[in-house]
Amino acid sequence: MDDFPPQPTEQSPPPPPPNQTGSPTDFLKNVVGKKVIVRLLSGVDYRGILSCLDGYMNIALEQTEEHVNGVVTNKYGDAFIRGNNVLYISAAEPL
Amino acid sequence: MASQILPLELIDRCIGSKIWVVMKNDREFSGTLLGFDDFVNMVLEDVIEYETTPEGKKETKLAQTLLNGNNICMLIPGSTGPGE
Amino acid sequence: MEPAVASGIQEPFDLIRLSLSERVFVKLRGDRELSGILHAYDGHMNLILSDVEETVMIVDTESNQTINYAKRKWEMLFVRGDGVILVSPPSRS
Repeated sequence: MDDFPPQPTEQSPPPPPPNQTGSPTDFLKNVVGKKVIVRLLSGVDYRGILSCLDGYMNIALEQTEEHVNGVVTNKYGDAFIRGNNVLYISAAEPL
Repeated sequence: MASQILPLELIDRCIGSKIWVVMKNDREFSGTLLGFDDFVNMVLEDVIEYETTPEGKKETKLAQTLLNGNNICMLIPGSTGPGE
Repeated sequence: MEPAVASGIQEPFDLIRLSLSERVFVKLRGDRELSGILHAYDGHMNLILSDVEETVMIVDTESNQTINYAKRKWEMLFVRGDGVILVSPPSRS
């Protein structure tokens, strides 16, 4: 009997499958550790591996390349990006 | 009182369909809405970014993207963007 | 949640905490860059830097190209957090 997984009770409906709700939180869980493109409001792009981020959309990136108009203008081992500058975070590899 | 629908309820009904996002600046996005939060940060899929520059309109294709809600101006449900 | 990458930082501010007393690169709004020793920071990203070299880019408004730059030095500097775009610590490798 111990081998059976616990059955959902009548009161609580079964939880949705993990990472399937598509909310910003779920997206961020999936994308940490992956290659991303962070575009700032100014149009400057930062491409790197997403280390982590917080509720203000402050971002820590690794192996970061700064792209301005498609040209690499800088490289940083680590970079902290202040969240108020962020336009979007886009996955640069399959999730 | 007439029955009311909250603005974000309308957006919630758009999940899974195409949506067109107009930013406060000269930027627009279209894509499939996967989800959003109370700040209207949005997760989009199969995204096209439209940028108006002095050189003309520039389009960028993006995979799954989290769009910061801070600079969103308008949302147009069911529309695939300015190309339509 | 375990850290996804080898460096093991848990939140973005860890990157800044680990850079205290180190020379950092700071990119600011208004085409400015700073390089200085980080002494203090807070949650707004207000910074205290010393031995700072400031680089002000002179950007052509038409082409958006940097056409020149001016450098100057400061012994000690307070940086208001809302101007900060990016902070890059020294390489930890």
